[in-house]
Amino acid sequence: MSDEKKTIKLEITRFDPDIDEVPKTEEYEVPTEPGWKVLDAVNYVKDNLDPSLSHRWSCRMAVCGSCGMMVNGEPKLTCKTSLDEYGDAIKVEPLANFPVVRDLVVEIDGFMDKFKSVKPWIIRAKERAEDMENLNERGTYSQSPDELSAFKQFSMCINCLLCYSACPVVANEPEFIGPAAIALGHRYNTDSRDEGAAERNDVFRGEGTVFSCSFANECSEVCPKNVDPASAVNQAKLGAVVDWAKGLILPRGGA
Amino acid sequence: MAGAAHPEAMAPRKKGPTRTAPPMMPSSWWSAPRIRIYLLFGATGLVYLLAGFLILRLAWALGSNPMAWQSAFDGLSHPLYVIFHLILLVSVLGVGIRAFVRMMPKMQPRGGPLPVLPPAVVRGAIVGLWAGITLFMVLVLSGAIF
Repeated sequence: MSDEKKTIKLEITRFDPDIDEVPKTEEYEVPTEPGWKVLDAVNYVKDNLDPSLSHRWSCRMAVCGSCGMMVNGEPKLTCKTSLDEYGDAIKVEPLANFPVVRDLVVEIDGFMDKFKSVKPWIIRAKERAEDMENLNERGTYSQSPDELSAFKQFSMCINCLLCYSACPVVANEPEFIGPAAIALGHRYNTDSRDEGAAERNDVFRGEGTVFSCSFANECSEVCPKNVDPASAVNQAKLGAVVDWAKGLILPRGGA
Repeated sequence: MAGAAHPEAMAPRKKGPTRTAPPMMPSSWWSAPRIRIYLLFGATGLVYLLAGFLILRLAWALGSNPMAWQSAFDGLSHPLYVIFHLILLVSVLGVGIRAFVRMMPKMQPRGGPLPVLPPAVVRGAIVGLWAGITLFMVLVLSGAIF
C-alpha cells in the first residue's frame, strides 16, 4: 500500500433522467489519502464536490454487494478496489449491461425478476415441523460437512451483479437468467435439505437458461467472493444432460 | 463504455416510472486478453465450418469416380490446404484445451457418492486420457498396430 497522498483525476458518468438525453462524463480532482478505495474517492466527490452525485453503497467491507461499478472498464466492488491499483486517472461508470437510473445507479429490478424465477429458497414437500405422522422424528435438518461442501461455495454470492456486468451473453440475450441466479438456483438444487429441483429445473432448462451460457468464464473472473458461477452453470448443464440421458434409457426416466 | 448492449438487457418485466439510459457493454468486452481468447474460441466455429465443406467435397468426389477422388486427394497437398489444416489443428487443440482443461474441472459435481478431486488431478487425468487416445490413433493411422 502506498503511503503517498496524491491527487487523482476521477471521471464519473453522470445521468439525470429529467435533463440528460444520454449519460455524460464529468471530471473531478480528488485529493486522496493512503489506503483509500475507489469508493472513498467517489464518496469524496459526493461529500465535498457535488452532492447531486448518486451512487449505491452500504457496508464498505465487500459484504452487502451494493457498490458495484465499472472501474476503468472492469466491473469491481469499489469498496474492495484500492486506488493503488490504478494510476492518476480513473474512470468510474455504472455497471455495464444494466439500464441506468441515475449517475452510477442501475436498475436492478430485471435482476430481481430473474433471481426470483429460480426459487432461491429451500422447497420441501412437507416441513418437518408439520410432519405429524413422524412426530418423534421432528428436529433440525442435520447436514454432513460433505453435504455442505456440495453447495457452500455458491451460497457465498452477495448479489453484487458484477457477473451480469461482465457476461457477454447477458449483454446480448435478454432472456438469459444469468450467472448469479443460476448459481443460487444450483446452490438450492444441491442442498441435501431441498426437494425442489424439479420445480427449478423447469426454469433452468427452458429458453435462455444454462445452455445459453457460452463459457466466457468472465463471471468467475470478476466475482469478488470467488463463488465461481461458471462452475455452477456447467454443473447444471451436466445435470441436465444426465437427466435427459436417463430419460432416454431408464424406465420412467429413472424417476 | 463501448457499444450498446441489447436494449432489453436486464430490463425489468414491469417498467418503472423513471426513464432510464440504455444498457451499455463494458469497454473491455473485446480488448481484455481473456475476452480475446474467448472470441478466438468462438471463431474456431468458422474453421470447422470450412472443414465440413472440405469433407463434403471429398465425400462427393469419392462417390463420383476414382479419378475425381484421386484429383481431390492430390489437391490436398496444395500449400493453401496445408496451411488450412495447420489452422484446423491449432483450432482443435485450442478448443480441446479450453474445453477439457478449463471447463471440465468446473463441471465436476460436488456431493453424491464420488469424492471431489482437486482440479489439478482432474486436469491431469483428462490430459493423460487425451494423450493416450491420441497416441492410440497415431499408431492405428500409421499402421504400427492393426
